[in-house]
Amino acid sequence: MMAKLGIHDLAVRYGKLTAIADLSFTVAEGERLFISGPNGAGKSSLLGAISGAVRADHGRIEMDGDILTGLGPERIARRGLSMVPEGRRIFGALSVRENLLVGTGMRRDRAAIADDLETAFTAFPILRDRANAPAGALSGGQQQMLAIARALMTNPKVMLVDEPSLGLAPRIVDEVYDRLCALQALRGLTLVIVEQSSTRAARVGGRMILMRGGRIVADGDAATFAATDLMSEAYFGDAA
Amino acid sequence: MSLQLLFDALSLGGIYAIAALGIALIFGVMQLVNFAHGQFIACAVFALILPSSQAVAELGLGRLPTPLLIPVILGFGAALALLAEAAVFRPLRNAAPVALMVASFALGVALQNLLLVIYGSRPKAVSLWAGLGHPVQIGGAQVPLLQLLVIGAVALILAGLALMLKHSRIGLEMRAAAQDFGMARLLGVRANRVISGAFALSGALAAVVALVMVAQTGVADVRMGGQIMLIAFIATVLGGMGSLAGAVAAGFAIGAASALLQMALPAEARPFRDAFLYGLVILVLLFRPQGLFAPAGAKPRV
Ligand SMILES: Nc1ncnc2c1ncn2[C@@H]1O[C@H](COP(=O)(O)OP(=O)(O)OP(=O)(O)O)[C@@H](O)[C@H]1O
Ligand SMILES: [Mg+2]
Repeated sequence: MMAKLGIHDLAVRYGKLTAIADLSFTVAEGERLFISGPNGAGKSSLLGAISGAVRADHGRIEMDGDILTGLGPERIARRGLSMVPEGRRIFGALSVRENLLVGTGMRRDRAAIADDLETAFTAFPILRDRANAPAGALSGGQQQMLAIARALMTNPKVMLVDEPSLGLAPRIVDEVYDRLCALQALRGLTLVIVEQSSTRAARVGGRMILMRGGRIVADGDAATFAATDLMSEAYFGDAA
Repeated sequence: MSLQLLFDALSLGGIYAIAALGIALIFGVMQLVNFAHGQFIACAVFALILPSSQAVAELGLGRLPTPLLIPVILGFGAALALLAEAAVFRPLRNAAPVALMVASFALGVALQNLLLVIYGSRPKAVSLWAGLGHPVQIGGAQVPLLQLLVIGAVALILAGLALMLKHSRIGLEMRAAAQDFGMARLLGVRANRVISGAFALSGALAAVVALVMVAQTGVADVRMGGQIMLIAFIATVLGGMGSLAGAVAAGFAIGAASALLQMALPAEARPFRDAFLYGLVILVLLFRPQGLFAPAGAKPRV
């Protein structure tokens, strides 16, 4: 079967600095893939390149066999790939409802948009309660939920989520992952999640890719990672 | 007397507000201070008349019946701004903000010289809507009908714009893009559509300013663009760069201050009214460098 998402020899550079070096992997339809690795490993750059926000130096990115490389982020979003970026990037001055609607401009199915809004409000009741409040007034956890709901409103096939647990209390992280997994099942989404904690990834379940220095150092079931010392190797290098 | 002052302040401030909005709209979506905006206004002024070396201009587009003239000249302004965007600003979109600003200066100078070549440097008398000068009695004040129409038109435009920004699709996209353009694009918002929309609106607003200036002063002068640009730019800075409501409020504030100074200054100081006005602006900025209307804690972006 053709992979949902294919990354082939991808490289990302910022000036002289190589953030991603000749990276290749594929993601199957409906899969949940965690990307882990130390700070500066290139995880956000990878998601950035896939979503079109960061220019690839070379290499090829495919979704359903169509080449995405070189397309602007709006074109990629319109093909069904949605992004929950690092730091959430909520539109603070817009209301919660308006945040949710920004991503629906590409859709013509008004009834389905209303359904999706209802689904988002059911999954995250706090968003319904605060629908008309400025999004900037939400707490960090609520903003994370809004960012996820907002990305879902584009009706994506593939969703990229960058460090959803960042800065949140463990109990809130549990909640965020619960909803995320439920929505994935409901929508048949393919999910790529950057998550620093391998124990967290193992608990949620799925495949995991471990990155270091812009390369993949390991790829396997998240549950096996937590048990081995691959993680500490990735974090502390061969000196460990 | 004070009623007259109120009408002066409102009509002058309204024009400054519309001019400032044209700048703030574009700054909001692409962090560009478009210094060519004043020349968009000047071009719309000269589009009303035919090229000639006479001191009294012959009307060109200005000859059209008003219900036709207004949409045509607004369309002219919008088309000019769209053309400028496509030819100058789009190729530079990923350049440094300073490069964009310099390009806008260059475009302004180019447009001004184009006007000088086609129309000559001599100011020309233009009689547009001559009938609107006659006074109307309101309370104790004699107010020119034109002034009332200007105030009404400004109110309509501001209300329409507010509704559009709040309730239309493109308005939502513009507000989202003004906050975080990269994020808006990740949600499928098309950069070209939003930026073109902002330029078209800005150009149409420039044309509104042009119509009012010609009707009020009865003159077409290449220098008009630079003068109104200066005041509009100051209003956008005072308004907190990119804040649309701030730009409007500051436009009205400058209009009011200007009308007040005109009345309060002794006759011999009146020719220096603008020096007083700009002095006041410097004073305000010394105390509030982030602008009068920027929310507390907002960081200045320029
Ligand atoms: N916009 C940029 N300009 C220059 N260098 C950058 C830029 N963004 C990232 N980098 C560099 O690229 C490398 C990879 O950064 P990236 O943000 O992709 O890592 P990350 O794995 O997401 O890290 P973190 O866990 O801290 O989020 C780092 O060395 C970083 O300093
Ligand atoms: Mg990161």
